[in-house]
Amino acid sequence: MSYEELDHTADIRLRVRSPTADSLFAETALAMMEIVYGKSRPGTVERTIELEAGNYENLLLDFLSEVLFLSEVDYIVFSAATVHITGNSLQAHLSGEPFDPDRHRGGTEIKGISYSGLRIVKEDEGYVLDILFDV
Amino acid sequence: MLEQVTRLGEYEWEVPTGTVPGMRVPGRFFLSDSLYKSLESGAVQQLANVATLPGIIRYSMAMPDIHWGYGFPIGGVAAFGLDTGVISPGGVGFDINCGVRLLSTPLRLGDLDRRRELIETLYQSVPTGVGAKGPLKLSTGDLEDMMVQGAAWPVNQGYGLREDLDNCEERGCMAQADSQAVSAKAKQRGMPQSGTLGAGNHFLEIQVVREIYDPGAAKAYGIHPGQICVMIHCGSRGLGHQSCTDHLKVLEGATKRYKIALPDRQLACAPLSSPEGKAYFGAMAASANYAWANRQMIMHTTRVVFGKMYGIDYESMHLVYDVAHNVAKIEEHSHEGKRVRVCVHRKGATRAFGPGSPDLPPGYADTGQPVIIPGSMGSSSYLLRGTTIAMERTFGSTCHGAGRILSRSAAKKTLSGVKVKNSLSKEGIIVRAPNDGAIAEEAPGAYKPSAEVVRIVDALGISNLVARLEPLGVIKG
Repeated sequence: MSYEELDHTADIRLRVRSPTADSLFAETALAMMEIVYGKSRPGTVERTIELEAGNYENLLLDFLSEVLFLSEVDYIVFSAATVHITGNSLQAHLSGEPFDPDRHRGGTEIKGISYSGLRIVKEDEGYVLDILFDV
Repeated sequence: MLEQVTRLGEYEWEVPTGTVPGMRVPGRFFLSDSLYKSLESGAVQQLANVATLPGIIRYSMAMPDIHWGYGFPIGGVAAFGLDTGVISPGGVGFDINCGVRLLSTPLRLGDLDRRRELIETLYQSVPTGVGAKGPLKLSTGDLEDMMVQGAAWPVNQGYGLREDLDNCEERGCMAQADSQAVSAKAKQRGMPQSGTLGAGNHFLEIQVVREIYDPGAAKAYGIHPGQICVMIHCGSRGLGHQSCTDHLKVLEGATKRYKIALPDRQLACAPLSSPEGKAYFGAMAASANYAWANRQMIMHTTRVVFGKMYGIDYESMHLVYDVAHNVAKIEEHSHEGKRVRVCVHRKGATRAFGPGSPDLPPGYADTGQPVIIPGSMGSSSYLLRGTTIAMERTFGSTCHGAGRILSRSAAKKTLSGVKVKNSLSKEGIIVRAPNDGAIAEEAPGAYKPSAEVVRIVDALGISNLVARLEPLGVIKG
């Protein structure tokens, strides 16, 4: 996974790099899981997400919010994700393991995914994303 | 950005209009020379951004715990006219009605034996950390009632005393709550989490009253030297987080519809009088009520634990006060010689109503509203009182905490959780948390000195010091 934490005093700001938009979205979702739950193992619990939005930024925010929602209400720690973006539509398949308090309880709760400073840029080697999580 | 700032007085600074295009009013913030050194350019930018919002009155303000957030800066205060102004989730935050309450006990320091056992029992009794489930099985109707009634709901169920409600800001309930404006997803998240502390900077701390600065006010608040108190800091959990997420999306569309130009998308907003603005306000108020119910239930558990361990009566433990520090409220304030109703956003700022203000319980009417300022883990917390100066200058507002100076990742890099825990233990402070990383992130060294922040608000007179409390033990999420 290729992400680095950028400086921010109050919250968590990440820079994620990935060759394609599909893999950028998937890696950001897994980075978010790692912040909330720490390290996780592969698992057999699966979920599918389908949604539409007007642009990449909104598609990403909606996708991450949905991952956070499913993870919280269904007590799943996602450890793998594949994403396919076609135009304004996104299809994602996620898998992971059930939440285990002994291993996953000590992470950092993400309260929200902010529009502030959200940036997706296409460079020669792929996509670069800056994103801020309220923790 | 920082080069635009001009100094107006010992603790007062201005960000002139024009610093960011479209500013309707200047920015004002309050800091000492020593804290100015840690002021981030990003926080000043955010203060200036808020000044561009339609209907903003007087100034875009920030308290001495100002720091870089998202949307509004943390420590931000802004009031908007009801006819001309907007409401923005960026001025409230994801954790709607994150707040603090202070519970006093009849115990003195010498009575508090078995301290480690007390902390462990509280840690086992109050669900903490990521993925924690609350003690209650709520029905859909219960959750609806909680969002409408706020702190009164648990009190009516036997989880508190009638007097607890008198000692909450808004009596623990915003009447504008509209549970229909809270999405099914938000309700689904809120259902199992009621009565949980959460994670991050949320805590439950055992404290001792170490110093009294204002004996008269301390007496009114029932506080005396050597007394054991409990401070509870948490918010509206997933229900509030999801409500903010949902309405932010709606308001982003509304911003375009109402042709409001914004320098930051997180400031998405709508006129207070619009359907979108009203829906957000209703959902925010319902989430705020959920948060008051949440803190009430955690306080109930705390009273039960103390009662069992030390043989003291439930009724002998009094709620000193409960304040919200992430909220927007409709209040009446003086502006240009007239009394006007405005919508005050406080994002990491505390209401600090002065003597004689509405919404104060009779016992506090002459003293002013108690203001509770939590320190960082291991440093002192403070009890202050609201003032007339705050009513005149800051729409009845003051700071909310210490304010970070070190990012969480920097804190983890430079401070070891185990070392922090050991050094706190040497000072007699017991820390219980799911892991040591959480302790490093919230270590005292990651925050501005709380003593300096409260010294400034006291010197400015926007709230006055009443008492200082020192930590003895803390449970964290």
